[in-house]
Amino acid sequence: MSTPTTDAAAPAKPAASGNAKQPPPPLVPGTTSAERLALAKQYGLRPLNVRPPLGEYIRDLTGRWAFIRVLATSTAYAKNQNNYLGQLWAVLNPILNATVYVLIFGILLGLNRGVDNSIAFIVIGVFMYRFIESSVTGGAKSISGKTQLLRSLHFPRAVLPMSTVLSLLTTLLPAIVVMCIVTLLSGLLPGYEMIHVTWWWLLLPAAIALMWIFNTGLAFFMARYVATTPDIENVLPFVMRVVMYASGVIFPLADYVARLEIPETSKAIVGGVLEYQPVAVYLYLVRSVLMQEEQFPPSGLMWALGGVWAVVFFVIGFIVFWRGEERYGRD
Amino acid sequence: MTEADEHMDFDLEVEPEDAGQEALETDLGDPCLVVDDLHVVYRVIGGRARKEAEKGGAEIREIKVKVPFHKRLLQAGRRHVGAVSEVHAVRGVSFTVRHGESIGIVGVNGSGKSTMLRAIAGLMPPKKGSVHVSGEPSLLGVNAALMPQLTGERNIMIGGLALGLTPKQVDEKFDEVVEFAGIGDFVYLPMTTYSSGMGARLRFAISSAASPDILMIDEALATGDAAFKERSKSRIEEVRANAGTVFLVSHSISTIEAMCTRVLWMHQGQLVMDGPVHEVAEAYKNFVRAQRPGMGPARRRALQRKRAAEEAARKKAEEAELKKAQEAEANKAEATA
Repeated sequence: MSTPTTDAAAPAKPAASGNAKQPPPPLVPGTTSAERLALAKQYGLRPLNVRPPLGEYIRDLTGRWAFIRVLATSTAYAKNQNNYLGQLWAVLNPILNATVYVLIFGILLGLNRGVDNSIAFIVIGVFMYRFIESSVTGGAKSISGKTQLLRSLHFPRAVLPMSTVLSLLTTLLPAIVVMCIVTLLSGLLPGYEMIHVTWWWLLLPAAIALMWIFNTGLAFFMARYVATTPDIENVLPFVMRVVMYASGVIFPLADYVARLEIPETSKAIVGGVLEYQPVAVYLYLVRSVLMQEEQFPPSGLMWALGGVWAVVFFVIGFIVFWRGEERYGRD
Repeated sequence: MTEADEHMDFDLEVEPEDAGQEALETDLGDPCLVVDDLHVVYRVIGGRARKEAEKGGAEIREIKVKVPFHKRLLQAGRRHVGAVSEVHAVRGVSFTVRHGESIGIVGVNGSGKSTMLRAIAGLMPPKKGSVHVSGEPSLLGVNAALMPQLTGERNIMIGGLALGLTPKQVDEKFDEVVEFAGIGDFVYLPMTTYSSGMGARLRFAISSAASPDILMIDEALATGDAAFKERSKSRIEEVRANAGTVFLVSHSISTIEAMCTRVLWMHQGQLVMDGPVHEVAEAYKNFVRAQRPGMGPARRRALQRKRAAEEAARKKAEEAELKKAQEAEANKAEATA
């Protein structure tokens, strides 16, 4: 019988019957640490739990695109799995949502927000903002909520936030169709400006794609920070509510700024910050594409900003996430 | 009897299909895994976890600095606010493993077996020390989280992709996985409808489908029936024959004796014995027996008598059955004649 290699200095003896109640004392390794490391080097063994270089990590990740896609669609599918109406809820849910907003803001409150079609304004704002908000909350849970998975399988962890956002995009697609239909139909109500399908509508996928990249970047940030400090997740709902009002989801930003009682110069600064921060930029882009509104003329500056924000958030978020790679699953 | 003792009872359980089986000897190759002074510490957030972990024999250390006496009032809430403890689950383990070895890890509950397995699979970062490995280790635990709301079919795809296969490779392996898991048409139903044994079998089938270089199995075989055990044993031999290495954590010492060539015994996060399977298994069994309360010589004799009686009864029944079969055969022969 070939004896397996042991590092024990002396061959371990079975415990004598007298002290069987006690386990044998801890083994003293027969080799020193340096010898073991030399052995590992000699046979070309690769150290584990070391963060892979960025280039290698990106290559590994792109090779996992199929995994990201399947995980995303499966998650989106599983969400509506336990209902009688099943996947029909993917469409019913946004329809009900839109109905509520139209009823409350369009018909009951009937507020005029300085826009010609406030229903379209609100529905677009709310649907697009929900995409961003759920990316933040979903990204926050994408690592911290999957400890079991992390401790069972080995893959680049960036797969998780990416598939979370992709899954949200999958559920967003039926919602976008509903959003476009509601936007068109709202013009039929008395007192709301008619909205027409224009060539600009072709740019909608581009705006959504920019949001998708931006949201993935956001999800990377959230995944890393919530994984190390779970408490952040409790603060998120409040932060997101503030961001909602600071981005003109339900009320146009210009209204707020005009009402502020501060000097004109600070007003310009506050207005500029609120107007050009990423969430407001993306809402502007979608509104300018779908609505023919004087407040939202097509703007090259806004498209450029949208692209810049998407790239900046994605790249920095990815690097921030990658820097924590070897720590995920530990706590 | 405390909970821990019950688990120890389970440790010694002999599973009939394992009796008399031994792992095949294969030629040992070059080192494929070097573990150097491994320490694993994990954070437990929240006060309650501390007691649980302490019961398991792990060493716990409070990170929080002691609050001065006059802040006694504030201290009342300490366990509920900002309570963070560290569990030092693995404390300085070193060993070397060669290609083709099949290694069992034994130890009482909470001795750090599973945590160590995760660390050497690269799934739990060590606090100190390092793990060097050739090839890709793949850990198979009963908890390997797939998506229970989805069908087995979908889960095979997800699991296969997570292991680094391409969608095409998963499709090719699909039939093999289903057959190995022995779940038949259940594969088209959501995993929530599976029995625990079926789920565990499917997970084992998925994770071993990728033919990993180092296969780590954590308690996954406990839920299978005899036929499944036989299949998994041949799968393990297959991995070893391809110069792979197998790690097995199991509470059933007989399973370890049947499937492993070398055993590591862990106690309170440290390696206390490392050697050929029979030697360590014998010592470990002695240790566990000694731990059992009320297991004096008298009771052991009584148990032996009981087992002998059972054995005799079984033999009797078998003989009767054999006789019956013979008679039936004779009758049949008469009838045809």
